[in-house]
Amino acid sequence: MTTTLDTDVRPEDRFISAFEVNHGQALNGTNASIAQQREDAIERFAQLGIPTNDLEAWKYTNIAKTIDRPYTLPLAPEGPSLDPSDVAPFTIDEMDAHRVVLVNGRVDASLSDIGDLPSGVVLSSLAQAGEEHPSLVEEHYGQYADFENEALTALNTAFVQDGAFVYVPSGTVVEKPIFFLHVTAGPESLFLQPRHLFVVEDGAIAKIVETQHSLTDAQTFTNTVSEAFVGERANLKHYLVQDEGPHASQVHTRAGQQKDDSVYSTNTITFSGDVVRNNATVEVNGSFCESNLYGLCIGKGEMHVDNHTQMNHVQPDCNSNELYKHVLNDESTAVFNGKVLVTRGSQRIDAYQQNDTIVLTTDANIYTKPELEIYADDVVCSHGATTGQVDEEGVFYLRSRGLSERRAHILMLQAFTDEVLSEYKIAPLRSYITDKIRRRFGSYFE
Amino acid sequence: MSTSETQYLEGKASEDYKHGFYTDIDAETAPDGLTEDVVRYIAHRKDEPEWLLEWRLKAFRHARDRIDGGETIDWAHLDYEAPKFDEISYFSAPKETASYDSIDEVPDEILETFERLGIPLEEQKALTGVAVDAVMDSVSVATTFKEKLKEKGVIFKSFGEAAKEHPEIVREYMGTVVPYTDNLYAAINSAVFSDGSFVYVPEGVTCPMELSTYFRINEAGTGQFERTLIVAEPGAYVSYLEGCTAPMRKENQLHAAVVELVAHEDAEIKYSTIQNWYPGDPDTGEGGVYNLVTKRGLCKGDNSKISWTQLETGSAVTQKYPSVILAGDDSVGEFYSVAFTKGHQQADTGTKMQHIGKNTKSTIISKGISADVADNSYRGQVKVSKNADNARNFSQCDSMLLGPDCGAHTYPYIESNNPSAQIEHEATTSKVGEDQMFYCHQRGLGEEEALKLIVNGFCQEVLQELPMEFAVEAKELLDIELEGSVG
Repeated sequence: MTTTLDTDVRPEDRFISAFEVNHGQALNGTNASIAQQREDAIERFAQLGIPTNDLEAWKYTNIAKTIDRPYTLPLAPEGPSLDPSDVAPFTIDEMDAHRVVLVNGRVDASLSDIGDLPSGVVLSSLAQAGEEHPSLVEEHYGQYADFENEALTALNTAFVQDGAFVYVPSGTVVEKPIFFLHVTAGPESLFLQPRHLFVVEDGAIAKIVETQHSLTDAQTFTNTVSEAFVGERANLKHYLVQDEGPHASQVHTRAGQQKDDSVYSTNTITFSGDVVRNNATVEVNGSFCESNLYGLCIGKGEMHVDNHTQMNHVQPDCNSNELYKHVLNDESTAVFNGKVLVTRGSQRIDAYQQNDTIVLTTDANIYTKPELEIYADDVVCSHGATTGQVDEEGVFYLRSRGLSERRAHILMLQAFTDEVLSEYKIAPLRSYITDKIRRRFGSYFE
Repeated sequence: MSTSETQYLEGKASEDYKHGFYTDIDAETAPDGLTEDVVRYIAHRKDEPEWLLEWRLKAFRHARDRIDGGETIDWAHLDYEAPKFDEISYFSAPKETASYDSIDEVPDEILETFERLGIPLEEQKALTGVAVDAVMDSVSVATTFKEKLKEKGVIFKSFGEAAKEHPEIVREYMGTVVPYTDNLYAAINSAVFSDGSFVYVPEGVTCPMELSTYFRINEAGTGQFERTLIVAEPGAYVSYLEGCTAPMRKENQLHAAVVELVAHEDAEIKYSTIQNWYPGDPDTGEGGVYNLVTKRGLCKGDNSKISWTQLETGSAVTQKYPSVILAGDDSVGEFYSVAFTKGHQQADTGTKMQHIGKNTKSTIISKGISADVADNSYRGQVKVSKNADNARNFSQCDSMLLGPDCGAHTYPYIESNNPSAQIEHEATTSKVGEDQMFYCHQRGLGEEEALKLIVNGFCQEVLQELPMEFAVEAKELLDIELEGSVG
């Protein structure tokens, strides 16, 4: 069923009336607590409203304007049937992975290639997981993403239908990457709201790769919420590659929760998009944890990318690293707003944050705001931010070694981005990304 | 700890706030509340020219609208009850308002006040060569060294006098850097400003001495709304010092000053502040001054330079962002700050560097020290406009935490719209290193001495920017503040 949003009324009201019209269509059939969250969420959304530039957290990204477009809101998107050849360019065949293809936020089994999973590991759609493992979903769903203060998370929670689900039981190692290939397709201007849940239990190890692509020229908006639970001594690496093309806007909200001795790393690369906002929140709710937040934005055209991170240290004896880099060309705009919070009593925290940007053109803009909010004294926290150009001395050196000006510039930019890529522990994925970046930089100097 | 050391510390603790006393001078106070009558009363009381009243009234209407519109300034990392603008008396002046021809005519009471603050005018005259324009509850009571300045053509007067005697200069510049529409406090200040300082340095003149003004908030329940305007003509240089202390008081006092600096081509203005107002009761946070100040400098001409240096140790709440608009090509802006908060003090301070001209440079060095349950935030903005080619900025914001219950925060905003800009920002937060303490101990220093040494070292980069007279005072002040911080 689809609802065309009425553009004559306030954007908030469009969603609220769409909710009321379709009231009673509970998610996953039976689960009462999720249904209740849905009610609370729409109420909260109505109170919060769509964020405007007046809000500090949305100062540089006018999301209200982007949402105020004539979208179609599919409640349970029936993906158009795609051929394997449609998604073939995106499958990264060199990477041996458990591949799940999601079309418009729903798992498409015919395109997927899950392969053999270690015993106990669940890899399915969220809707299916809700039916087959209701207690597991209930235990974690909606626990980490905060819809009390985030209007768009509230909106997603109200309209949740489906998404990806991963469960890795205690002590299990998933050797191969779990690969979610997201594709938006169809002629309509869709407003999609997928919801993902990743649960990695105590002592388990997993790598999740997500890539986002679009097969349509229609203007789309994807409001994703993705929650991750990383149990004691567990290790989760999460890679996200955003390349949806110039017509796709999105708000991608990620909330991770860590327990004692765990490691959680996320890495986001944005290649394209219209207006892209990434909210990454990590709550380190355990001691002796390591958290890594990495990101890279390769700007082109008029894309607007806003990376908003929040690193919450609420327990002592942890360390976190954050590194975001931007290369901005054409009229692209990047925003970085990173916050490290160390709460009272969370002693012996080492938290580092760094944001570096290379601006190549006069029409590109960078707004960066690295924040520290520290309430404990026995900590070492630092942040740094730089904005500048390609180092001409470096270019000169390379030219003196016989490289052309173009090659020298590409190489310098590649070197700049490589620090973020060094976090890519999956070799085929890394070379896929590296190649993509090289081609992008090459196109800068044609 | 030895007995003598204990005694010493107890002694120090009881003198917690050195400058907390109250001078008993008859003062006239305007009725509470912000009304047109009050604005007219102030203008009349100060015998101001008509144009200034008009300007005040415009600002008043704007301020009134904003207050009636329920505007509050709540974006800073500060937790305090917003001042009730209609319960504040907006003007108080010592009764004898005459300008004095010589120091001898100044009532002894007032002179004594300054002496207790450690700034005997006579002594300063002789020893330091500092001209003091002492502001006591808003009205200038004594100005020295006028002759010497006059020779050079430097005008250093109270704002009120300047408005009467040099209306053409005041009118030209007043409100051009901080318009009354800038923010709520600037609007209120523009409507009811009591007095302040005015400095004009003519073309090519290097001001022969450091200019200094001591502000004191005196009358119970009165806010103080100074307005300072400094204009440096092409090639001029002036260094201006501002130092502040306030007597102990139970209720919160509002201080909302406006400072405007204008530097023309090749001119340089150096503005230094020591702020040590009553911080409120250290245990409960009760009382204390609300220091909500708008300070901004305009590098109007090419090659001009404006430098802000501040040492903030007092006030219950401090919110100020001395800024520089780098409009002229090759202009330079600097900001050096030490903010020390302890007890229940809160500070949200920093700067704004707006790069507009080409080849502009700015430097920001901010050191925040937080103890007890205090909160200390740095909030700064570096903005590079589209045409500001080759802008360069370096920012460093370090925070030091003395104790497990205090907070230190950093909120830098960096906005660049020009590809040739080079912006660097660095910030660190940490406590006093145990290895540093250990080193000091093994060289025979006690805990408190070691802490003083380390903190002074931490702030050195900023303190060395202060003029000599201030640097000594600043070091003393930090030492006093640190006493009792060892736990």
